[in-house]
Amino acid sequence: MRARLVLVSSLVFLMAAIFVFLFPELKNVSRETFAAETTTNAEVSEGLTCQCGCGLTVANCNMPTCGFSVPMRRDIDRMIGEGKTRAQIISFYRAQYGEKVLSAPTTEGFNILAWTMPFIALAVGGGLMVVAVGRWHSSAPPAPADSKAGAQPSFDPELRRKLEKEIEERR
Amino acid sequence: MPQLGNLALAIALILAVYSIVANIYGARRNSPDFVVSARHALWAMCAMVTIAMLVLWSALLRSDFSLEYVASYSSTTLPTVYKITSLWGGQQGSLMFWTWLLSIFTSIAAFQNRRRNPEIAPYALAVLAGVAIFFLMMLNFVTRPFDLLATVPAEGSDLNPLLQNYWMAIHPPSLYTGYVSATVPFAFGAAALITGKLDDGWIRSTRRWAIFSWFFLTLGNMFGARWAYEVLGWGGYWAWDPVENAAFMPWLVMTAYLHSVMIQERKDMLKVWNLSLIGLAFGLTLFGTFITRSGVISSVHSFTQSGLGPYFLSFLITVTLGYSALLIFRSKQLRSPAEFESYLSREAAFLFNNLMLVGIAFAVFWGTIFPVLSEAVRGVKITVGPPFFNRVNGPLALGLVFLMGVGPLIAWRRTTTSNLVRSFAAPVVIGVTTGIVARAEGLRIWYVLTAFSLAAFVMGTVLVEFRRGVNARRHMVSEPRAKALVNLVAKNNRRYGGYIIHVGVIVAFVGIVGSSFFRTEVKKSVHAGESFSIGSYTLRFQGLEQSDTPHLESATALVEVLRPDGREITVMTPAKLFFKRPQQPATKVAIRSTPLSDLYVVLAGIGDDGQTATFEVFLTPLVFWLWAGGLMMVLGTVVVMWPNVRERAAIATALSRQSTGARELADLGAPGGD
Repeated sequence: MRARLVLVSSLVFLMAAIFVFLFPELKNVSRETFAAETTTNAEVSEGLTCQCGCGLTVANCNMPTCGFSVPMRRDIDRMIGEGKTRAQIISFYRAQYGEKVLSAPTTEGFNILAWTMPFIALAVGGGLMVVAVGRWHSSAPPAPADSKAGAQPSFDPELRRKLEKEIEERR
Repeated sequence: MPQLGNLALAIALILAVYSIVANIYGARRNSPDFVVSARHALWAMCAMVTIAMLVLWSALLRSDFSLEYVASYSSTTLPTVYKITSLWGGQQGSLMFWTWLLSIFTSIAAFQNRRRNPEIAPYALAVLAGVAIFFLMMLNFVTRPFDLLATVPAEGSDLNPLLQNYWMAIHPPSLYTGYVSATVPFAFGAAALITGKLDDGWIRSTRRWAIFSWFFLTLGNMFGARWAYEVLGWGGYWAWDPVENAAFMPWLVMTAYLHSVMIQERKDMLKVWNLSLIGLAFGLTLFGTFITRSGVISSVHSFTQSGLGPYFLSFLITVTLGYSALLIFRSKQLRSPAEFESYLSREAAFLFNNLMLVGIAFAVFWGTIFPVLSEAVRGVKITVGPPFFNRVNGPLALGLVFLMGVGPLIAWRRTTTSNLVRSFAAPVVIGVTTGIVARAEGLRIWYVLTAFSLAAFVMGTVLVEFRRGVNARRHMVSEPRAKALVNLVAKNNRRYGGYIIHVGVIVAFVGIVGSSFFRTEVKKSVHAGESFSIGSYTLRFQGLEQSDTPHLESATALVEVLRPDGREITVMTPAKLFFKRPQQPATKVAIRSTPLSDLYVVLAGIGDDGQTATFEVFLTPLVFWLWAGGLMMVLGTVVVMWPNVRERAAIATALSRQSTGARELADLGAPGGD
């Protein structure tokens, strides 16, 4: 019990030390990330897809001579300067280029399927799994509630048996 | 020489066709001579494809522009190493490279099974030959690598500048190796279905192939991410591009497969599921190739885009329908007397782990094909980009990480609540404490707090598991702690190698979370001698250096990096390149990597006066740990695959007795039946 306490305390101390050491760095950049101007530009251009064929967002396209993202980032800066919000700027570009300029599907109409289907599939898969497990469970023979395996749940009894066999071999 | 290449490919196709016929005839008529002959035909096929590869490599190295392929993807000024890698820089060459790997792996599988698996091996080799036939038909009739030009140009068009990078020299071979080697377990699964030999023999025979495939898919994804990080110059490494997704999906499914086969090996359950997973993994490798080459979905990676889409789609549909038909045909035989005692068991944790992995794979697949669906249903083109994938997969990733912690500490069959509490007390304390410390230190983003807490929890479970193992060894054989640790891993390399992989995944996960949530960006135009700051760094632009070679022009900025106290740390050299043959500009980023953060400097523009430069600088915390985690995964996989002579001998003996003891031994960490 004492050894366990020492181990847990050491690990907690280690984790705490890592985070105390690490977090000034994270806090520092976190603060800068949310500093007004650059973040707003990044937030807007992250929501728009570059149309030069690179497949990246306007924020990420780094083609030095890109005819789409370079002027767009400049225009976004200008619009931010004029006091426009993220939603207004994105609506402006959506009206100009259509839905394809958005970097993610909208949450309306057919596009709702894009957002919901992965979770529907997961729920259906999970449901089927629970049903299957339920059937297997009912057909399983009853097992003792506690066992040697239970006393050392993760250290398999088979492994223990094998170790004992190895000791025998050494003798 | 090109005629030799064409001839070799034609003979290879004939040999592949013969091999299918001879393998099936030999197996059905119980005629070993035909099976042996089919095996020799596969080796000869491999030799023929190798000759074709050497012919194309030779043409690339000699800059023989009479070949359309060489003229399109090389030039006289291209550095030799990229002349070699340009073999997979274009459509025909990359297909031939794929076929070559397939022929090598087929030959190795034929050699390994020359005296083993006499009932299913001929059919598995026939399936492998069938896949090879598809690729050889493409190379012989549709996209020929040795086509000649009517007029020989004096100079080639050169390799795409984005591909002229050392990561690109190793990324496609790694990924292709991962893709192609998945064909071997798929072929044995298909052979098990064809022959009705549906025990776990096919799994044991191909376990190493599955791990090998997973290993190279991991490497391929990591190298690809590193390539994107160093070459694309936007400060990130993963953009959820369709081709990146296509490489990620088989990795997810293979990961699920490697976990779920353990349940079949131990409890003879999930036969249909395991066969489905390996079929899905193979299908996804074809889907990835279809995406890259069809142009159906626009991608930054479509270097090899062509009109091959319909052929690949037809092949993918044929394989899917054929394999599904086999699964349905054998469905009655695949039923097994399943036993499941409790949700508090390792098999339950593995089932949930499979659900999450396949769920994430489905989410990625869905996001990748949704633009096509939208266009088909609504006639409206849309984009599904990083915001979608991050938002959908973010919560699923947390679930998966949680299960990574739960699985190892729960016993097979069932565990009691009191044991559960005892096992998880320490990891939970570590995880919760991490969250509390993180919050006290100022972190407010719930996702990051949860992610870091769960990461610490999983690390805690792995540490507890190692500690238990070491203590048990010390108790049994009175070994010193260090020796007990080494022996624990050495003698149970499959199990403890797996835990090392888990640690690698968690370390990479921390790197991904840190780098995704806390990246800072500064864009600044400065004159020579001027400085600007990002984070705690000060960057001073010293000036530009120009250079001109026959291959490219470059302008390199000298950027002095200073500490807050003014001391110089290093000089970074981001550059702008201009490749002369394709008349294409490119960016060479400069990266200073530390465990805390990466300083990433891009030379975004140069003023007309030659004295002004615009820099885009990113400070990305913890990204170092993504690559470190990748290395740990590699190390863990090497440990898993390390030959364990005593265990192999035990397995061989047990298998020869055809007793259930083989299963027990294998569960203890033996490296498989091959």
